[in-house]
Amino acid sequence: MKHLFRERLDFLPKEGRTDALLPWVIAVMMFLTCLSVAATMSIQSGLASWSQGLAARISVQIIQADDAARIRDSEAALKMLRATPGIASADEIDREAILDMISPWLGNAANISGLPVPVLIDVKLDNPGSVDLDALSIRLNATAAGAKLDNHQAWMHRVLNFAGIVKWGAIGIILMVLLSTVAIVIFGCRAGLATHHESISIMHLMGAEDALIAREFDYRYLWHGLKGGLFGLFTALMVLYGTVSLLQKMGQGLLSSLSPESHVLATLLLLPAITAFITMMTARITVRRALLEML
Amino acid sequence: MLVFSFENVGMRYGMGGEVLKDVSFSLEPGSLHFLTGHSGAGKSTLLKLLYLAKRPSRGLVNMFGQDISSVNRKDLPRLRRKIGVVFQEFRLFEHLTTFENVALPLRLKGARLADIREHVEELISWVGLEDRMQAKPPTLSGGEKQRVAIARAVINKPDLLLADEPTGNVDPALAQRLMHLFVELNKQGTTTVIATHDEGLVNQIGAPVLRLEKGELRVLPGTETPSTTNPYLRRKEDRT
Repeated sequence: MKHLFRERLDFLPKEGRTDALLPWVIAVMMFLTCLSVAATMSIQSGLASWSQGLAARISVQIIQADDAARIRDSEAALKMLRATPGIASADEIDREAILDMISPWLGNAANISGLPVPVLIDVKLDNPGSVDLDALSIRLNATAAGAKLDNHQAWMHRVLNFAGIVKWGAIGIILMVLLSTVAIVIFGCRAGLATHHESISIMHLMGAEDALIAREFDYRYLWHGLKGGLFGLFTALMVLYGTVSLLQKMGQGLLSSLSPESHVLATLLLLPAITAFITMMTARITVRRALLEML
Repeated sequence: MLVFSFENVGMRYGMGGEVLKDVSFSLEPGSLHFLTGHSGAGKSTLLKLLYLAKRPSRGLVNMFGQDISSVNRKDLPRLRRKIGVVFQEFRLFEHLTTFENVALPLRLKGARLADIREHVEELISWVGLEDRMQAKPPTLSGGEKQRVAIARAVINKPDLLLADEPTGNVDPALAQRLMHLFVELNKQGTTTVIATHDEGLVNQIGAPVLRLEKGELRVLPGTETPSTTNPYLRRKEDRT
């Protein structure tokens, strides 16, 4: 790295058309990378907070068509749950609230008020492992025949599977973008070498070492990488800001927890520097290899 | 120690025929030679071997006691810095000024900025371009470019100066001046090889001639004229 800080010879003519386009291509790559990284990290942290919230909660459904049996079973289940050590609270969810939840599928609450809606009991545990859920399920069935315990595992499993697919998809996109960037820089570098062959050849014949010639390309491509990286990051931040605003307007539901957090933003801010470094190193390796072909 | 020596050097490009055949000659320190021959005789190839742009296909090339065929690639820049080259097409950096073009070899050597300024300005004045110091090559005439190229080649005080058709693009008067400049540099100890088609100039100077014909080299001895009739030597004496 130390040669990078030596005085420049500036023997390369101003950028050609290929060189001038490179920062724009890097900007597009950077934009895609930023969005992929932000999406992956936000989904990861969003899922972590969902599963953490759900791990200490279970639901109990009392499914009985007969109203009297349903009321009897729900009272017995509530009594048993509240008496179980490790359970912080057990509360029946208001029937009106349940009707509200199902109204988008079955119409407004007035028309479905006569339906035999199951009783839902929201149970909060002292901590995620404080109760043996299998034993609780058996005891619950013995207490109330229509009771069904749901620890959200099936739902979480599906969500986590989906999140895994999204995460690996995003990692795949990032890798592809990275490889494309490296390939584009190699092409750009080779085009640059062809364009500047005469200048390089003269410097070579005047006794310039390979490292010194490569240094000029280092500067140029470091700057291209940084310019493209910062522009791509800026554009991606604008898009992310718009998305976050939209999610916040949509309320505090599931999607709002996907908003990028500070550590996501910190990672994004590092990306232009990483891109610039990768661009510079790719250029250096390409130029050094090409120079080795000369005597 | 000989500056350069060639022993049975042959050169071919790819699978083609030999461009140079069994070339043998040597350059004594401080000598001046002309390199002549028709187009296609192998002058450019011989010059490429001399300024270390190519390695020979066969034979022995020795420079300052080092065998070029076996010298490490990393040591070549150091050897190249001992050679100054005036290319036929000048090969100046179009985006750099006269000063910057001439200063490049010194900057490559890592010279101090103050020294660079002093030496470059002095040399540019010596070649008569002091008022074109900040001009860029596209605004210079052919003769001016030639002088910038010569200044760039000699700024480092090279041990060996190679000039490829240095008078090919200039009028006869300027050609005389440039040739005088080369003779001056040679008299200061720089081994000089000038490739030219100009038989008039060759005869005037009377230095030994390396004549290439169909890839074969003949060394013709010099016919140096007395200093009183040789315009280049006389000018030198006039000044001293």
